[in-house]
Amino acid sequence: MKATVGIMFCLLVLVASAPASAHHAFAAEFDAKNCSDVTGILTKVNYENPHAYIFLNVNGEETTFQLSSTSNLRRGGATPAVLNASLNKEVLVRGCASKNGEKNRYAASFIKLADGTVQRLGQDVEGIFGTKVWR
Amino acid sequence: MKRLFCVTLVALGLMSAVAYAQQAPAQPDKEFVEARGSVKPVPLPPGGPTPRMSDGKPDFSGVWFPGPTGRANAWSVVPDERVVEDPIPFQPWALEKYKAMSRTQVELYGNANVRCLPPGTPGMMTENPYAIRFLTKPGMFVHLIENNNRWRVVHTDGRPHKPKEEQEPLFNGDMVGKWEGDTLVIDTISIDERTWIRDGWFHSDELHVIERFRRPSMNIIEYQFTIEDPKVLTKPWTSAWRRYTLSVLDEDLTENFCTNNEQVEQFLKLLDKENQGTAPKGEVPPEP
Repeated sequence: MKATVGIMFCLLVLVASAPASAHHAFAAEFDAKNCSDVTGILTKVNYENPHAYIFLNVNGEETTFQLSSTSNLRRGGATPAVLNASLNKEVLVRGCASKNGEKNRYAASFIKLADGTVQRLGQDVEGIFGTKVWR
Repeated sequence: MKRLFCVTLVALGLMSAVAYAQQAPAQPDKEFVEARGSVKPVPLPPGGPTPRMSDGKPDFSGVWFPGPTGRANAWSVVPDERVVEDPIPFQPWALEKYKAMSRTQVELYGNANVRCLPPGTPGMMTENPYAIRFLTKPGMFVHLIENNNRWRVVHTDGRPHKPKEEQEPLFNGDMVGKWEGDTLVIDTISIDERTWIRDGWFHSDELHVIERFRRPSMNIIEYQFTIEDPKVLTKPWTSAWRRYTLSVLDEDLTENFCTNNEQVEQFLKLLDKENQGTAPKGEVPPEP
């Protein structure tokens, strides 16, 4: 797990220079230049619209991640069953911080689930998947 | 060993970033995070001939996705094809109003999806990233919209609009349809001013939208719209043709109700910070 996360960190560093234009709601609400890996225990999954949410316990503090819509999540394989399977287990989430300064609130682009699967959860504003920006 | 691997990867990344800068817009030669759900876009071929209804007109029935792949396109790993369109011919006062808005204001007050409001016409086609289903029969066009489980039914028999005294502002507007050859034309008036054409593009109560649909082959629907708004624009404006493709997996629409909208509250907090000077103003809308 540690080695995998280390490799993932390397990948994230090397793609940080990827171009990212942003004319969409994500860029208005979240800071694409303030993204980080967050590791914690997945405590709750709210599967709803216009955005789903997951919650992590990170060193005793609740951290909120806004995901895409249920339509995108379902079609991308992030079904309730897939996410719920990691409840109460350690996961890693890539998140970009909220611009309004609300503490511990992020938009998520992917999650490394407890079984090691890397699953998309939202838009790719950093250019880490290949990549595109979409509204 | 791990450190060497990491250093090598970072070095490769920097090299590829330089290469990208020199050769943009070519895809940079670097490794990306492989994640389940990312879509490698394969454009759908045209398919067979246009299916037709009993009256000989094109049958638009099927589940459709915006874009070229016939599947949900939100997490594609390449950029959308850029749509080239004419500038919006705003009247001077309207241009001034448009340019005065910050990105946060546009999202908060003009993006129907942020507020879970109906996006109206043509927003139900252009501001809707999810699947849609068309059902057509002679004299009728049914449009089912996954986003918030919305719908519209349009008579396509050439009937006129309601009399003016019966008109009222509606999110979708008062719609009538007719065929011009193989092109279905939907004419809409009486559109609620709370809908916007797209980011920052507001409209008046005299908005008149003419939508055109055609199905040149089995897998493709093309869509274009014209905006007439004599109170806001100096002349009519016509969009580029947009492409929608038939679901390759024969998917159904999924349930999508807006039940927990935190976006308005979050944007209001951001707007407060911007107004207090404790957060930078968001970028302005793109050039019209």
